[in-house]
Amino acid sequence: MAANPKAVHNSIKPGKWVRSTCKMCLHSCTNLIHVTDDGVINKVEGDPTNPSNRGKLCPKGNSAIMRHYDPNRFKQPLKRTNPEKGPNVDPMWEPISWDEAFDIVAGKLKEALEDDPRRIVPSIEDFQKMGVWNWPLAFGCGNFFQSGGTMCGGAYHPVNGYVHSAFAGANDAKYCNFWLNDGTGDGFSSHLHAAAQSAWVAEARSERGMKCVTVEPRLSISAAKSEQWIPIKPATDRQFALSLCHVLVNENWCDFKFLRKDTNAPYLVSDDGYFVKNSEGKIYVWDTVANQPKLWDDPTIGKLALEGHYTVEGKACRPAFQRFKDILEDCSPEVMEPLTTIPAKTVRELAKRFYDESGIAQDLKIEIDGRILPLRPAAYNYYRGAQGHKLGFQTNHAFKMVNFLIGSIDTPGGHMGVTLDDQWVDNSHVAMGENGMLHPTPHQLGPLPPFAWPPTTFHLINYFPVGVHPPHLNMVVFEDPEKYGVDFKPDTMVVCHSNPIWAMQGPREKWFEYMRSFKFIVVVDIIPTETTQWADVIMPSNDVFESWNMTMIEPPHTEGMCMRQPVTEPLYDTKSEEDIFNELSERLGILDAYNEVQNMVLGFHHKPELKLQPGTRYTDKEIAERRGKLWNDKDLDWYIEHGHSVTERRLDKWYRPWEGMRLHFYIEDMVTLRDDLKAKMEAHNVPFRHEWAFDDYQPLPTARLDPVHEEPPEYDLYGMFYKDVQLNFGESLSNPWIQDIVYRDPVHIALMLNPATAEKKGLKPMDIVKVESPYGMIYGRIGVSQGWQPDTLGVSNALSRTKGKLGGVKHAGGHFNDLLPYDLENTDGVTGQPETVCKVKITKLNDWPQFLKDGGSVYDMIDELSEPGKGRTHH
Amino acid sequence: MARWGMVFDLHRCIGCNACVIGCKQENSLPDGVLFTRTLSEEYGVYPTVNRVYIPTLCNHCEDAPCEKVCPSGATYTRDDGIVMVDSDKCIGCGSCAVACPYDQRNELKADLFKNGLFGEGELTPFEEQGYIRFTPGMVTKCDFCSGRVDEGLDPACVVTCPTDARIFGDLDDPDSKPSKLIREKGGRAPLPEKNTKPKVYYVNWTT
Repeated sequence: MAANPKAVHNSIKPGKWVRSTCKMCLHSCTNLIHVTDDGVINKVEGDPTNPSNRGKLCPKGNSAIMRHYDPNRFKQPLKRTNPEKGPNVDPMWEPISWDEAFDIVAGKLKEALEDDPRRIVPSIEDFQKMGVWNWPLAFGCGNFFQSGGTMCGGAYHPVNGYVHSAFAGANDAKYCNFWLNDGTGDGFSSHLHAAAQSAWVAEARSERGMKCVTVEPRLSISAAKSEQWIPIKPATDRQFALSLCHVLVNENWCDFKFLRKDTNAPYLVSDDGYFVKNSEGKIYVWDTVANQPKLWDDPTIGKLALEGHYTVEGKACRPAFQRFKDILEDCSPEVMEPLTTIPAKTVRELAKRFYDESGIAQDLKIEIDGRILPLRPAAYNYYRGAQGHKLGFQTNHAFKMVNFLIGSIDTPGGHMGVTLDDQWVDNSHVAMGENGMLHPTPHQLGPLPPFAWPPTTFHLINYFPVGVHPPHLNMVVFEDPEKYGVDFKPDTMVVCHSNPIWAMQGPREKWFEYMRSFKFIVVVDIIPTETTQWADVIMPSNDVFESWNMTMIEPPHTEGMCMRQPVTEPLYDTKSEEDIFNELSERLGILDAYNEVQNMVLGFHHKPELKLQPGTRYTDKEIAERRGKLWNDKDLDWYIEHGHSVTERRLDKWYRPWEGMRLHFYIEDMVTLRDDLKAKMEAHNVPFRHEWAFDDYQPLPTARLDPVHEEPPEYDLYGMFYKDVQLNFGESLSNPWIQDIVYRDPVHIALMLNPATAEKKGLKPMDIVKVESPYGMIYGRIGVSQGWQPDTLGVSNALSRTKGKLGGVKHAGGHFNDLLPYDLENTDGVTGQPETVCKVKITKLNDWPQFLKDGGSVYDMIDELSEPGKGRTHH
Repeated sequence: MARWGMVFDLHRCIGCNACVIGCKQENSLPDGVLFTRTLSEEYGVYPTVNRVYIPTLCNHCEDAPCEKVCPSGATYTRDDGIVMVDSDKCIGCGSCAVACPYDQRNELKADLFKNGLFGEGELTPFEEQGYIRFTPGMVTKCDFCSGRVDEGLDPACVVTCPTDARIFGDLDDPDSKPSKLIREKGGRAPLPEKNTKPKVYYVNWTT
């Protein structure tokens, strides 16, 4: 682009463009940063050479400059001088040198480490720097206190690991013609690479006429852009999916060829839930031609039975498909209608639509790269809201089952496994497992602490064999450590780019108590947050324009590496995360172990010449260069010139990478792992074993109600929360540009009700209310919209910040997550996924509580933006 | 000479507001000042309800009411049809804001330049380098990123739009993307009854 000395538009002022990568969410759109001849960063645009985001950026990506120049940034290391800690208590920061900061922090960590590493609680959440995230492994620490597990995909990732051997899932925008979104913004407003996926999906909608249907309690952006919005009562999505499956199975609208050839649906399962095996451990199937049992790999098999009841090796058994059909018997749309509030007719029409669009009847095929592949251009897509429930594993599995039945898994037009990061270009994420089945990889973020009694971790992950860390269970143990056999007391916390005190579920007051119990807290971060207020020492890190990195995070249609490079010298006395954790590691005597952790986590062992060597510290630049070389053997100069190595995903890895293996329609591991956990708990007399949720372990999804539906009847509405693209993933509410769009949007400025519900309760728009659940309470102001399922109260994430000295953040009347349970009763026994919907009751108040009258609240800002002449943008 | 115009594809627009912030970046806009906005309009009754996202900006009218009423000659139309505001000539009378039927004129009150985007009475280096283009008190608006257009670039809101819902080009060229869309999809200009002859059109009203 040209430089014009008289230009008033920022992008054409004299200066240079630097290639880099966005970090306004965890994903990794590449961008072009314009820096003026005077060294001011004045424009960020998408990188048009990247086939992922194609020159586009979402509103968050467009707002990065305001993070960089935020006057509230930490400008040097800080030490607390006020010993009193609290959400509104000024820490009275005193600037200190880096030397002093390292002396204090390393001293405190060393003391804890030498006594008992379990005293240290990490809260390290930089998805773009997985090496840093995994730093605690260098001293064998399994504790965890960050919101990723709770509010991300606690059950989502393990189920993707079982079904696709991948981290995430997304529909194939290239060939899909009929796209159902359930409780997700994929392709419209959130989740995977929002700007990129919106571009791909808009192209599919506009140029190929792809049709979308959205199932959600609210008229989301996805719903507004769909041909049909199907409102659903919160926390009933699994029952809805099962009712769809009921129709598909009972009408024979299934891809039986796929189920027989590519899944374990024909494998015989005995009544105890295990596959029927011979003495060598080989699984039986039933051959309907020979009318006899055969081993799964017997070349003489005529036709595999999917249905029927048999006896093999003396055991009564059924094919896995028959077992699912039996479960579905009680799941008709008519049975589910009173629960989901979705008319049975709608479900039946939708099932027909799935069948018609899937191309099963015509057995559609497509040739891609010389391979003839089944074309199944219909798929069920879902994420956070739909699956974040107590029975999360079963819920995710139920959604996958729709795709299993119509044969649309990992095939053109279908529902695809999306890897987090392939690390090197020819890395395959799939492998053959036992008995012809795909090797399942439920632990997508690496191995977790194994069973132990007494527990080695404070949040009970030792008892969730396929779990993602359940951070909310820190509170369960904190309240009763004896019951859970915990004989240690965590008192030293290391936080890095993580804000659990904003995001953790359960009342804030409880978490304040938890934080008060820590003797020492160090926080590595850029700006003040709800959590930095509790720190004893702040170690400020460089921001995205001041540092190196190389990453790729779960892109739906592309792969490669995206480079971040410094556009400017650090504005302040800050350091890279690598320098901070290297120095701490050296002082703690764990540098060699940390380098080994990074070798493992970042995949350097694959190319031994890239391995980090003992005794050496590696900078962010050196790690970035190695990551790039690991991907495609290109050095940093190549990346500086090109910015990224992103290409469309290699089609042999994207479509049916598991060719010749069978997918886990039936997840026998649920039975195996349940019995294994039971036996271990029994053998160790684990005192809480009798209340453990073994029933949650189901090899096929069931219609069992989540306990949220059984809360006392006085809580007569379902509370749910939501984000759109301006709020997608981490913090952006301190950003003035984001504030200027979010707080003009009617769906983000009030607690939302359907007008009929409001009227029934005698509530009007702008009424001030108290919202209570059995677990907590928040305040807010009512808004109404026809776009809400009438049993639902919607609370935007824009109304979630808490009061404190948080720079530009505007506090609201409490966080929605205050209303959520943090107990084991509402936690998935399989994965640790907690319930994220709650039952609530609303009480009208005459006035705001005092803390919302002091000024500076989000509602003050909303009122200001609503004044005439303030350019309010919505009607 | 081209005659620049824009088409908004309402089927594509997802109301994400990337355009709004892309514009704030490009134009160094003070807090609360928007050269482009995305309106959202809900219609219907539950459960047959929907919402449409409607991007808006200055329509660069052929018969621009703001230009007609401007007493100082600050508002003028370039040969390529872009309606401009000369910050040196604008006296801040606000007549244009009253005359514009689309509410696209923004008064830049002096305190905006003092308080800054973070409201702390201190300007960021980004603001320092950007605000020099404005005269406090002036009443300004979108200029289709005229400087970028002169360099052969699309406006900032267009290049960042994730769904390509904003299509910019020469309305006098029958083969340009916007001309084709207007012709083939029946593009409609906003508030035709005002006879302002906008150079901005909307297609795919039913989403």
